Amino acid sequence: MKLAKRLFAYSLPYWRALALALALIVGTSLAINFLPVLIQRMTDQCLMDTARPAGERIDLLMKLSILYISIAAIGHGVRYFQGLLTAWIGQKIIYDLRLDVFRKVLRMQQSYFDQTAIGTLMTRVTSDIERLQHFVTEGIVGTIADLFMLLGIMGYMIYISPALSLAIFATLPFLFAIMFYVNAKLRNANRDIRDRQSRLNALLQEDLTGMTTIQLFNREAATVKDFDQRNAHLRSAYFDEVRWFSLYFPTVEGGQALSVLLILAVGGLLILDGSTAITLGTFIAFLAYIRDFFRPLGSLSDKAGSFQIAMASIERIFTLLDTAEEVSDPAKPVSSDRIAGTIAFNKVWFAYTEENWVLKDISFSVEPGQVLAVVGATGAGKSTIINLIGRFYDIQKGGVTIDGVDVREFGKADLRGRLGYVFQDPFIFTGSVADNISLQTPGINRSDLIRAAKTVNAHAFIEAMPEGYDTVMNERGEGLSLGQKQLLVMARTLAQDPELLFVLDEATASVDTATEMLIQDALAKLMANRTSIVIAHRLSTIRHAHRILVMRHGKLVDQGTHEELMAHDGYYRQLYELLLHSPDQ
Amino acid sequence: MYSSGQALPFLTYCRRRTIAQEETRISRYLIPHRKEIFATGVCVLIAVGINLYLPYIMRLIIDGLKEKTLDQPALIQLLSTYFLLGVVSVVFSRFLRKIPLKLSHKVEYALRSDVFGHLTQLDQEYYRGERTGDLMTRMSSDINIIRDSIGQGLLQGIRTLAVLIFASIVMALTDPGLAWLVFSLYLPMVGIFFLILRKMRRQQKDLQEHVSEVSNFCQESFAGIRTLKGFALERRRNNQFEELNSDLVKKNMLLQVSRQSLWPFMAFWFSLGMILILNFGGRRIITGELTLGTLTQFIQYLLYMQWPLLALSWTMSMLQRGKVSWIRIREILERESSLECRISNQEPQNSKVDARIQFQDVDLAIQGRTFLKDINLDISAGTTLGITGPTGSGKTLLVSLVARLMDPTDGSVLVGGIDIRNLSLAQLRGMIGFAAQEPILFSRTLEHNIGFGVVNPDKTLIGWAADIAHLRDDVEGFPEQYQTMLGERGVTLSGGQRQRTSISRAIARRPDILILDDVLSAVDTQTEAAIMGKLQPVMKERTTLFVSHRISTLRYADEIVVIENGCITQRGSHNELIRQPGYYSELNTLQQLEEKLEADA
Repeated sequence: MKLAKRLFAYSLPYWRALALALALIVGTSLAINFLPVLIQRMTDQCLMDTARPAGERIDLLMKLSILYISIAAIGHGVRYFQGLLTAWIGQKIIYDLRLDVFRKVLRMQQSYFDQTAIGTLMTRVTSDIERLQHFVTEGIVGTIADLFMLLGIMGYMIYISPALSLAIFATLPFLFAIMFYVNAKLRNANRDIRDRQSRLNALLQEDLTGMTTIQLFNREAATVKDFDQRNAHLRSAYFDEVRWFSLYFPTVEGGQALSVLLILAVGGLLILDGSTAITLGTFIAFLAYIRDFFRPLGSLSDKAGSFQIAMASIERIFTLLDTAEEVSDPAKPVSSDRIAGTIAFNKVWFAYTEENWVLKDISFSVEPGQVLAVVGATGAGKSTIINLIGRFYDIQKGGVTIDGVDVREFGKADLRGRLGYVFQDPFIFTGSVADNISLQTPGINRSDLIRAAKTVNAHAFIEAMPEGYDTVMNERGEGLSLGQKQLLVMARTLAQDPELLFVLDEATASVDTATEMLIQDALAKLMANRTSIVIAHRLSTIRHAHRILVMRHGKLVDQGTHEELMAHDGYYRQLYELLLHSPDQ
Repeated sequence: MYSSGQALPFLTYCRRRTIAQEETRISRYLIPHRKEIFATGVCVLIAVGINLYLPYIMRLIIDGLKEKTLDQPALIQLLSTYFLLGVVSVVFSRFLRKIPLKLSHKVEYALRSDVFGHLTQLDQEYYRGERTGDLMTRMSSDINIIRDSIGQGLLQGIRTLAVLIFASIVMALTDPGLAWLVFSLYLPMVGIFFLILRKMRRQQKDLQEHVSEVSNFCQESFAGIRTLKGFALERRRNNQFEELNSDLVKKNMLLQVSRQSLWPFMAFWFSLGMILILNFGGRRIITGELTLGTLTQFIQYLLYMQWPLLALSWTMSMLQRGKVSWIRIREILERESSLECRISNQEPQNSKVDARIQFQDVDLAIQGRTFLKDINLDISAGTTLGITGPTGSGKTLLVSLVARLMDPTDGSVLVGGIDIRNLSLAQLRGMIGFAAQEPILFSRTLEHNIGFGVVNPDKTLIGWAADIAHLRDDVEGFPEQYQTMLGERGVTLSGGQRQRTSISRAIARRPDILILDDVLSAVDTQTEAAIMGKLQPVMKERTTLFVSHRISTLRYADEIVVIENGCITQRGSHNELIRQPGYYSELNTLQQLEEKLEADA
């Protein structure tokens, strides 16, 4: 109920349109269902009333025909409009919700993304929302429309002939029950089909991926047998569906035939008894009503059971919207024109998961314009340091400050807009090369981005692309080598002209020597005259640093210049020698 | 497969193609069901016949009541006939749906089964060229479309045909004038309906493309969230999404403009038909040329013919789509493995083949790029060859050649002195236990995975294999030991555990040839030493090829080869190589430094 209320809140902005749609539903139901009444009149007053002269009857027939077709044209026309209006309202509600969900996801903190599979998020913004859309347009509004249609028909039927109506209505609960039952069975069968299809697909996916393994171990026959088992399982679910589906339409047909039979029987017997309450016109009109009667009845019986499925989706969507945002903006964010660039860590403790300390009591500072290199073995907590400055995560103890101001006092967007990150896995957006460099930041024009690309040695290969800077790339940047992607991402960072720079510098085995030289050169230019922290894996970047932090198991074990650290003859020296022999250098 | 210069093989090639084509006609799947197809026809005839007869009874009753020629027993008799025929019609109307739809699912099953069976026969080269996602689509939606076009095609096709023919005859015999009216009404209606449907399909396609654009945008935003946040791009991204979202509403509404028109249009057209019959028929009733009963009969026909005729255009497009999907399925069925098949798996096996492996002047090129060049090796049965070299130098390809995951471009690989192309795949691979660096395990029990390559494995064998690969302790920590499910629904193994499971799987076969492709890269040095200790005796009994980057593992080998850029650059024992300048001794120095660093920590 609470969910329904929240969903209802989304429809409030469109209450005028909703009210109009409702009025149109009632109006068209009254108009369209009036048509058989006209048929009754035509039959009784024109065709059957032999007492009146033929000419007069033909005139009346013509008049009623024109009235009939006018009402039909207007009624169905308005109904079309109402259908569009309803669809539009549904679309608008879903538009708002989809936007809310997307914005909510982008606001979530990094740790949320660490824990949530992208597939799950995708399900929320795609299939859950789609199911909701179906629920709003077909479900809620559709039910109202069906209900009024049914009420309209029943009202007119009683108006024309209470006796015949009662005979037909008596069969209604029975028919509705059958249809509801068949629909429920159909839904079950469909759920089974979906389940079994996805289990078959899971197996198929695995077998196709592991086909080489299957062949190496001579498992082809056994694999086919397993596959056939699930395949047969799916087939039996389909057989079940066919069983119920093949009952559905015959049930409707049977219901219609039964109603016709009732009209003929009750009406026929009454007429034979000499009753004047029922005329042949009543007969014809009722035959027309019965045709329209079963469509809303069938769809109502279907919807009655399908609400549950939609509710599950609604719940998942609202749960996502209610998830707490952990890294929030301060009430009054600090903002300064230009950051001088002193970064300081003051007794910082940090854990991704509680008490599992990744950084233990770290203190250091970087002066404006300096390059600080962080070295250490994998898992020593190096990259965590730069994640904390941009508030991808918030620390548990201690303080991280920029120019003496705690990073938590800046607005996130403002803070991150001043920082530049070069991550180890270059992320390319779908779009042109130019857009990937400028990120469509206002104030970066074509010549700026070309200059940036030239500085980081990316200009040459970009020019060589089919349409140069206007070449459109897909998400994975297909067609570019890893090294080229890294250069492109550096051009992007340089173009944004960040005040503070953070680099995750990972020497990559698959980059050829020539490109490797270009990357090292580009890195040096990026860091020139800029406060930078670089997580260093390359000797060249270490040599460029003014100062070096040595990390080990989350602790800061040593710091100083390269020469000082070498003189200490400790952990740093061993690390350095290892790098010296690494084949990647 | 054959060069065109050789006349004879080319001919056989052609002949094979034609045979393949005959094997892959859709009729092959339909002929076994000819009785069901015939039964569908019978059901259609009965159901359509009755449905055309019922309005006639209605006419008799109405006219009888009007002319007062009907007495109560006669009325009751007519009503009883109506009731009985109605029941029969409902029963046949059910079978008319049930039989062809059930048949279509049988065909679907058989087709999917055949395609999958065929896929298990295709080689690595095929899978390199196809994306799994694409194959999945063919196996699900394409086969589903074929199924629907068979099921619905039979059902709707036969019914529409029957209704068209018999309704025309009955109506023409009853009243030609009204018959013309009904037909001239339906003709434009079917036409317009067809146009609306076609437009809807286009808009649907348009919308679908936009939907996938939106979902790609979301996918990209979530996958690149670090970059988005790093550059504070959320607001810009939100605005872009808003635009895409608006377009989604627009495209959706465009589709609605056609879709919402369908029902009101049909209902209006029906009203039009009704009033035309009433008007033209009515005039003739007034002049006494027509009875009210006949008029009612025609109104019922108008009603009855509506669906079968509208289904016509729908069925046509269904068949069209079915044809396209069938071509995509045929592409799989007609594809053949690129591995030359000299000896099929059914032929009797070569008696005993010993486990000596030789490479003779082997070259390997894939899509024009050379990956291995001039490889010559002679590995005596029962010895161990260690293979090392930089990433991407061709080590994995080299060991893949032994198991015929592909054939060399030039030269040959021999096992027991026999060119492996002269052994059946089943026999060759039956001799080999293969463990890959990034092993594929299946979402089944651990026991199933370890005994994967053995027919009816017993518990002792599984336990032994797990023990050798140092997996036993891990297994004891699992909730259901060897019955533990792997994968998403069960236990997710670590990289090292996966590798060790893969080793168990390979040695559980007790193979003559053991191939270990960098299988210890994800385990720590201590575990590695423990595994090597236990693997030693197992390796001694068979010919072993192992790829490794670790000196500590490589030193166990009888001979070591270094592969750089597809060529063997160094070969010899550990002690020989360590003294030569080159890749091997460099690797040795580096790993000694690493060890020192680790020991300090």
